[in-house]
Amino acid sequence: MTRETDRLIEARISRSQFFRLMGGAATAALLTACSTRPSTGGTSGAGAGASVDLKFVGVADEKVPMEDLVAAYRQAKAGVSIATSYAPTDQVQTSLRTQLGAGNAPDLHVVYPGNGSAMSMAQIAGAGLLADLSSQAWTTTIPTGFKPAFQLQGKTYIYSAGSSVIGAIYNKKVFEKAGVDQPPTTWTEFLDVCEKIKKSGVTPIALGAQTPWVTQLITYALVPSTVYAKDPTFDDKQAAGQTSFAQSGWRDAMEMYLELQKRGYFNDKPNGTTYEQQTSMVATGKAGMAIQVSAVLQAFRDAATTPDDLSMFPLPGADDPAQVWIPAGVVVGLGASAKSKNVEEAKAFIDFLGKQENINRWAKAIAAIPLTQDAGSTIDPALESFLPLTKDRAVPFMDQRWPNAEVQPTHFAVIQDLLAGKIDIDGALKKMDEAYAK
Amino acid sequence: MSVITKQAGTSAAPAAKPGRRRFGAMTPPWLFAAPALLVYAVVVLYPSIAGVVYAFTDWSGIGGDMSFVGLSNFSAILHDDQALGSLGNTLLLTVAVVVVQNVVGLLLALGVNTKIKSRALLRVVFFSPVVVSPVMVAFLWKYIYNPDPSAGLNGLFGLHVDWLGDPSVALWSIAGMVVWQYAGYSMVIFLAGLEGVPRELHEAAMIDGAGTLQRFRYVTWPLLAPAVTINLMLSTIGGLKLFDQVFAATNGGPGYATETLSTVLYKQAFVYGKFGYSTAIALVLALFVAAVSFVQIYYLRSREVSQ
Amino acid sequence: MKARTFLLEIVMIAVAVAFLFPVYALVTLSLKSPDQIAESPLAVPSSPTLDNFASAWSSAALGPSLINSTVITVVSLVALIALGSFAAYFLARVRSRLGYGLYILFLLGIVLPFQLGMIPLYRLITDLGLIGTHLGMIVFYTGVQLPFTVFLYTGFIRALPREYASAAQIDGASHLTAFTKVVFPLLRPITGTVLILNAVFIWNDFFTPLLYLGGSGFETVPVSIFSFVGQYVSDYGLVFAGLVLAALPIVVVFLLLQRYVIKGFSSGLKG
Repeated sequence: MTRETDRLIEARISRSQFFRLMGGAATAALLTACSTRPSTGGTSGAGAGASVDLKFVGVADEKVPMEDLVAAYRQAKAGVSIATSYAPTDQVQTSLRTQLGAGNAPDLHVVYPGNGSAMSMAQIAGAGLLADLSSQAWTTTIPTGFKPAFQLQGKTYIYSAGSSVIGAIYNKKVFEKAGVDQPPTTWTEFLDVCEKIKKSGVTPIALGAQTPWVTQLITYALVPSTVYAKDPTFDDKQAAGQTSFAQSGWRDAMEMYLELQKRGYFNDKPNGTTYEQQTSMVATGKAGMAIQVSAVLQAFRDAATTPDDLSMFPLPGADDPAQVWIPAGVVVGLGASAKSKNVEEAKAFIDFLGKQENINRWAKAIAAIPLTQDAGSTIDPALESFLPLTKDRAVPFMDQRWPNAEVQPTHFAVIQDLLAGKIDIDGALKKMDEAYAK
Repeated sequence: MSVITKQAGTSAAPAAKPGRRRFGAMTPPWLFAAPALLVYAVVVLYPSIAGVVYAFTDWSGIGGDMSFVGLSNFSAILHDDQALGSLGNTLLLTVAVVVVQNVVGLLLALGVNTKIKSRALLRVVFFSPVVVSPVMVAFLWKYIYNPDPSAGLNGLFGLHVDWLGDPSVALWSIAGMVVWQYAGYSMVIFLAGLEGVPRELHEAAMIDGAGTLQRFRYVTWPLLAPAVTINLMLSTIGGLKLFDQVFAATNGGPGYATETLSTVLYKQAFVYGKFGYSTAIALVLALFVAAVSFVQIYYLRSREVSQ
Repeated sequence: MKARTFLLEIVMIAVAVAFLFPVYALVTLSLKSPDQIAESPLAVPSSPTLDNFASAWSSAALGPSLINSTVITVVSLVALIALGSFAAYFLARVRSRLGYGLYILFLLGIVLPFQLGMIPLYRLITDLGLIGTHLGMIVFYTGVQLPFTVFLYTGFIRALPREYASAAQIDGASHLTAFTKVVFPLLRPITGTVLILNAVFIWNDFFTPLLYLGGSGFETVPVSIFSFVGQYVSDYGLVFAGLVLAALPIVVVFLLLQRYVIKGFSSGLKG
């Protein structure tokens, strides 16, 4: 990127005159001081024929499908090359926010669906930094239930290949040894299964609560049954201030969470245990299951000696099987920077990703349920027990409807505090309600 | 602050022609300082001043929308449990690190500043963690603090402590890892101070029948004062600004148990999307560090003089 | 007396062994396969393997990051010493109020948390076209470490008798020659300290390169290690092999120069 275009971008963002004046003066001063010509590094690889270089920054979870599809795009369209880089979420969040703040975002970058985090579609698009994708054909087929994840004020800003579910990833061998022949379908049955596994000398549920995002998964798995099955319009009522975490089934979900701990179904010291340790416990049969998102199924399989031992079932959050609902959320995706000089080329790549065959490809790589389906779509057999529920008993991940980026980290922290016995459920829900109100 | 180098010049005094003329007025031209001043102004002063402006806005960190909100970011800090809690944690952590690191560093220095054969090797051993990146030390200690009873510290001592997962332990565990890394730093500064204690003084005291402890109290300790000053200052500033180790080991958790001012201002800016508020916290931190360093220098310097 | 020294020797060696336990764990685990680690993590490896090192080297992309770190550190140090010593010479000798004010202005930089200027500086570096480049980081480190460098140099120069330079000037030398030929060589001890303290800081700095170089392909060692650990954290053997490889260069340099390094750390900072 040349300095002139950066200037243009800077001018377009147009912050207060004051900053620009000061910036300009300092810039000029430094330029006279340093006679060295700045060598622009970073993106490169402009081959002889390539006319456009796009840059993509994403999270590690996207690497496999993205690399595959970037390679495919190179075949399909000469003249455009895409330089990709991936890093863990923390790191990407930090460097991308800085780049976005300074008006220097990559052409394509990771975006989280819906609202509720600093890198979420609603927050970035709300700041005017994402290109509108609404004119692309694939956007017209987004299922209605998923629209809040993709759209802000009726316009689509994020591409995502589909959805993943939260449930129990379990080790069939451990279940067999404990004498469990069928996954449970009610909460009482679920507690019985845990008890049997515990009696067989194995930890029933591995919990890696030191890794912040893992803390939320059990509540997320239960809340669809304890909250949304009773009132599908909970989100709207909460937004209107008619209800709150403390006055809702969130309380039941947290009580159930802590009941699992009280009965000794978690591993020892969950707050000192990480996601990776959780993964290996289930994969190696030291624990019976982990409540996890289906997107990490592949990581669990990679850690297992016999990957076929692992499968999933919905966590039954109610005693009436008809009241068991599941969380099904849109997976992490990407958007095009509205300020990019190559915005049309970047959008063209997203349009390519939106083709049904490519949706299938991406979804398959991360065991997701494809956004839209055709004959070529495949669904991981481990997810079969979820499919009957995805039609009308599924709700998006809760954070995607939260109004700010503070509720989710608050949820992480209060769960850790609950597990450590530092606060009670009243205190936890109060803190979440306060964060929601900010 | 000249205490730090007040004697250094004497060690580098080759034979020259002193006093040929008392010609102190030959001040070098401004031009000598100009390049440094320019770079400093561009890289530190201008961005900091421009940054301070954000502390009075509600800017999210991205996008063009922003409005001035006066002092409300600062008054919000007073009602922010997370920020206030992190201030408490920062202070506790700083006190723990300053006290333990310097006591351990002093004991190591006293032990190494003897006639034992392994003294040169031991000095290298105790100092070596200082040169390694704090992030890497934190990753190593994350394993040492593993709750698994067969691994790390628990495995070594047959303990069952949840070092980083138990909110009442985690902060001290982080202090322990910082002390492990930097005790050698304090040791080296104390050693330099000890080398300045003349042997004759010790011998005279011994002849007077003073025991080891008495000699330490009345001969060594007063002469160590400058080393104490610099050690306390460095460890205090380091403790107040501590970020890398916490970020890599616990990221502020469990709950908010290890949140420090630096991690909170990071989260406000990059996780919560409240850049303006984050800058307000950074400003408070800066004032805090400046005030503490000033008070420390003032107090410790006067102690040095009175002795 | 002999017996006491011997006892002390035993005690100190015992302390050192305990102190080295984390390092032992680091090296032991890096030599083990995941199965061996699961079996008995802390036992001495019965059949050590170097597989972890080979895969850590390639998956952490340590080669390029070592080059990045080296270039950034070395050039920043040269700039710091050049700019810092010249400025300090002026600041130590000037007698006006303004000169003293300037000195205080530099010291202010020691307490300012860099987060304050984070975004404006990032914009500035972007405007200069230096984002994601070595030069951008070099300019950054030179500016950020100048206060500390100036502080060390100024204190040292103030303790030097003025006569050296004056004498040279009477012999007809300009300020420039007097400084480079007479004064600067006298600064060798403090230059050693400046070099070492800044080298350790720049080499190990984490947050700024994370912000400014993340995803640029120009990552320094701590940033590469951070993302490497983020990706392979479940495999302790591999992660620890990566940590060993990343720490090795600076530890080796330290061991080779340990006498000077330890001296440098303390001499500029002693009483």
